[in-house]
Amino acid sequence: MSKPTAIQVENLVKTYGDGTKAVKGISFNVGEGEFFGFLGPNGAGKSTTIKILTTLLRKTSGSASVAGLDVEKDAGKIRKLTGVQMQDTVLDEDLTGRENLFLQGHLQQMSGDPLKQRVNELLKVVDLEEAADKRAGYYSGGMKKRLDLASTLVHRPKLLFLDEPTTGLDPQSRNAIWSYLKQLNEQGITIFITTQYLEEVDRLCRRLAIVDVGEIVAQGSPVDLKKEIGADRISLGFENGNPGGAVLKDKAKQVLNSIGGIDNIVDSDEGLVVYAKNGGYMVPEIVRAFDGAQIHLASIGVSSPTLDDVFLKHTGKRIRVEELDKSRSSGMFGRRRR
Amino acid sequence: MSLFSDTSHLFVRSLKKLLRNPILLFFSLFQPIIFLLFFTQLFKNFASVPGFAQAAGTTSYLNFAIAGIVLQNGFSSAFQSGTAVVDDLRSGFLTKMLATPVSRPAILLGRILTDAVRVVAQSTIILVLALVLGGTIKEGILGYLLMLATIAFFGLAWSGISLSIGLKTRSAETVFGIAGTLTFPLLFMSTALNPRALLPDWMQTVSTYNPISITVDAVRAPMITGFDAGTILTAFGVIGLIGLITMGATLYLFRKLVS
Repeated sequence: MSKPTAIQVENLVKTYGDGTKAVKGISFNVGEGEFFGFLGPNGAGKSTTIKILTTLLRKTSGSASVAGLDVEKDAGKIRKLTGVQMQDTVLDEDLTGRENLFLQGHLQQMSGDPLKQRVNELLKVVDLEEAADKRAGYYSGGMKKRLDLASTLVHRPKLLFLDEPTTGLDPQSRNAIWSYLKQLNEQGITIFITTQYLEEVDRLCRRLAIVDVGEIVAQGSPVDLKKEIGADRISLGFENGNPGGAVLKDKAKQVLNSIGGIDNIVDSDEGLVVYAKNGGYMVPEIVRAFDGAQIHLASIGVSSPTLDDVFLKHTGKRIRVEELDKSRSSGMFGRRRR
Repeated sequence: MSLFSDTSHLFVRSLKKLLRNPILLFFSLFQPIIFLLFFTQLFKNFASVPGFAQAAGTTSYLNFAIAGIVLQNGFSSAFQSGTAVVDDLRSGFLTKMLATPVSRPAILLGRILTDAVRVVAQSTIILVLALVLGGTIKEGILGYLLMLATIAFFGLAWSGISLSIGLKTRSAETVFGIAGTLTFPLLFMSTALNPRALLPDWMQTVSTYNPISITVDAVRAPMITGFDAGTILTAFGVIGLIGLITMGATLYLFRKLVS
């Protein structure tokens, strides 16, 4: 338990010039070598927190330290120890992949043969050896993300801050990034990550925190957080997709409320999700009650809670990856290349 | 010293970017060349207006206007700095640089040094073309070098204006808009294209205090009347003062970005 701390945050507050309170007094610790997930809906304060921890933004109050160094007093030292990948892929598109890595190394005060070796090594790791001498502007989205990740690693950082490293990528590129990250973590690098991909968080993060409107609403290990839900998840799909949805759902909710033993009911794309202890026993009850009320079910399934459910419970919102991808890719359009 | 090596790496970066966008370079040279080829022809007979030869010190309008054209090119190049910084701001590249221990002033220095090199290269092309067209430089090669130095120094100081506007507004369109709005009034109310004695009275007054006049007079002197310490020192003094103010503002706005 008494691992040295990589990140220590206490009562951290950030209020922007226009009065927006992006972060409202959060506290958390990340141990050395941890793979830590920092989750939350859009606008929860995730990126603001990352910017403060990476010395890019001044905090309003509270304290924050990285590798035992104060984010404001020792900003210069922190910048040498950390790698940061921003939410949007950031590369110099007029330079080649190799030149991008060299420039990043130079900015990190590296030079000569050690830098050359490191660049070659990284090009191999992210599988960009062949495209290394093409301009980054001609790379595909997945290649750009991989190059961006490589550029944060040139100086062998001890800590890696990643803001949505796989958003907007196809599944194959996404898997490639996740497997690099896993390897890096196994080499002892502390990883602090925000992402919309909860399955990966479940698989890789030892601990996570959920933020909502600038406050931490839950933190712990994925297993503990799921246990906290204390109920099984029963998903109900209605016949014919969901026509006249709202009326049908209201009727179904009334019926469900009359059964008893149900902790919570929420809307989903297919129909409803019901949380109840001993889900297996509840299924026949639900089917019987719906039969009596002339509500036809298309599907019914019981599963243990996922991080999705944990997220929903604490924020009242669901993470919708697809929508985000669309808005982001259209937002990037027309901004790159002059 | 990391300031030195950081500046040189970032200088190389912007130079590469510049050379890899040759179309941009071509079009920025297009305007001064049009001025040199057509504008000087358009106003060729202006040189025979009574009093021109005496006020201008030459009977060739081309010879008189070269300094103004070269300076105008320096003026528009200086405004490219701001748009390049906006580019880095918008794309997030500036943030990415700020997350590294890179020396902060090097980010600006690398940028403006590139612009200085560019102004010198472009001015050389324009001056060579002007000589081909029949222009003359009284003080020869030394005069030419002094002209380049003056224009480069002017470019450095004025790029601070576009850098501050870029940092403040984060909009390349605004930088271009302001550059476009400033260029012609400043140019017309100066001795860039017309000798002082031939300007209307009120414009003579404005042109006396117009930094463009002061600079253009210093660029022109080695071509026409010969080295003149007074003109040159005044110009360097004024440019230096402008440089101090604009670079001060740029550094201030740049520092503010990080908080």
